[in-house]
Amino acid sequence: MSMRALLLMVLALGAAPLQAGEPDPLQSVMWEHHHRNLLGGQAYVFDPQVRVELPPFAEDARQVPVLVDARALGDEVVRIEAWADLNPIPRIFTFVPGDEVLPLVAIRIRVEQATPVRAAVLTRDGVWHVGGAKVDAAGGGCTAPSVVRAQPGWEDRLGQVLGGRFPRGEASRLRMQVAHPMDNGLVGGIPEFFLNQAELRDADGQPLATMELYPAVAENPTLSLELKHDQPAQLWLRDNNGNEFEAAF
Amino acid sequence: MRLILLALALCLGLPAQAEFSYQLQPRQIAADTWLFEGSTDNFDKHNGANIVNTAFIVGTDGVLVIDSGPSRRYGEQMREAIGRITDKPIVKVLLTHHHPDHVLGNQAFADVPIAALAGTTELLREQGDAMAENMYRLVGDWMRGTEVLLPSETLEPGVLEIAGHRLRLLALRGHTGADLAIFDETSGVLLAGDIVFYQRALTTPNSPGLDAWLADLDTLQALPWKLLVPGHGPVAEDAAPFEQMRDYLGWLDGLLRQSAESGAELGEVAQAPIPPRFAGISLTRYELIRSATHLYPKYEAQALERIDRQ
Repeated sequence: MSMRALLLMVLALGAAPLQAGEPDPLQSVMWEHHHRNLLGGQAYVFDPQVRVELPPFAEDARQVPVLVDARALGDEVVRIEAWADLNPIPRIFTFVPGDEVLPLVAIRIRVEQATPVRAAVLTRDGVWHVGGAKVDAAGGGCTAPSVVRAQPGWEDRLGQVLGGRFPRGEASRLRMQVAHPMDNGLVGGIPEFFLNQAELRDADGQPLATMELYPAVAENPTLSLELKHDQPAQLWLRDNNGNEFEAAF
Repeated sequence: MRLILLALALCLGLPAQAEFSYQLQPRQIAADTWLFEGSTDNFDKHNGANIVNTAFIVGTDGVLVIDSGPSRRYGEQMREAIGRITDKPIVKVLLTHHHPDHVLGNQAFADVPIAALAGTTELLREQGDAMAENMYRLVGDWMRGTEVLLPSETLEPGVLEIAGHRLRLLALRGHTGADLAIFDETSGVLLAGDIVFYQRALTTPNSPGLDAWLADLDTLQALPWKLLVPGHGPVAEDAAPFEQMRDYLGWLDGLLRQSAESGAELGEVAQAPIPPRFAGISLTRYELIRSATHLYPKYEAQALERIDRQ
């Protein structure tokens, strides 16, 4: 090999990380994989304006609270993807907030081990803004026996929604908890059975925000969203067996 | 080569063995009554999970042990330390509740009756292995050889005459659903188990509710005790631990209720400010994160209402 070829190789190697973007602040082995698969390998920046709030450790690996807050990016937000890097089922949700809904989601998830949790926020200029945090965990949350299925009569409560509306300045926080086992297919002999679609709608049934859910979401999903104003809202849900559920705030 | 190996062995082996000594020093706190006082820290690889108070009563014809500690090593070292105080035989071990820091030393007392409330044995059967695994994760090699050993006797609440002491056994529930407190009528010592934490934030992973816990505090405080031994933290001759417990439980209950009523998220509750008056209590933030996880869902459900189309 000539000296020049060697030099070129060294340069190419040195330059490669730059082409792949800035280094992952959470130093996760899975970042590149998820960037390619969930974000289509598109342009991104690690952006502290995307806040992902997690407890430092998971006291209950089956119910880990995650708050994703991209309000600092305001009306530029088109879509939010959230996932847990090291989960067997990494994806948590895809959220499209629309014009009347703030880019903020609180939800509870299952983690199988200590993992980074990420939110990637696509803005109108086509760039993903990525935030994240790490949670420590004893683990096993994804493969633990279902708590819901151990409760007699859970089938009768399927799709029941507990909800409430709480003022947040001009905005209005909608909290909801849906009775559903959110079976992820990883617990012995129980196939996937989970809520996979949610829509927040206005009084006329027009969508205000849409959400896809994945079975990293905890049993009996607890979810909070924020409307910019105090307008009426309805919730529509569907699971992967085609059951539909509706509620009104 | 042989020298290098020897040097390696010295570097790796000897300090490690020394590290696994809990340095247990029994302290006499009342007539016949001795305490092993643990730290008020969290489980970690430095303390080997010795964060707990265990005790023993040297009676006329034998020794009664209260709780066996967090690991097999602890139990064994505890038994050695008891042997330095008395050569009387150990006649019984009483377990206050099923949490790992109180019962995982049981193996060291396998030849002695180990007694607990029925609910404690049931909870240990259900949760013991998972709790022990988590202890290995938290404190590592200190746990070597530790396995869950279930109690061999069931305790009923009431009076237990043993080793010349008249003990009143109380079945309480605020901390885990099956909590034993032991009032030694002979010496006036109240061994409160984890119904009382002092200068160390209380833990709630199995608590049936804070109301039940507050009721248990009333029950215990009404006894004619002279010395109070909490499950965690220093002993007291006055009611300060009861007052701190009530203050803290009341604050926690109020925080959870008000948070739910104002629509707070679980993560927001865990980050709530902790009143300065609790500054002297160890691990309040850590335990608030845990307690919010355990307890907040019930408060949330009360603050929300059915909104689905039925």
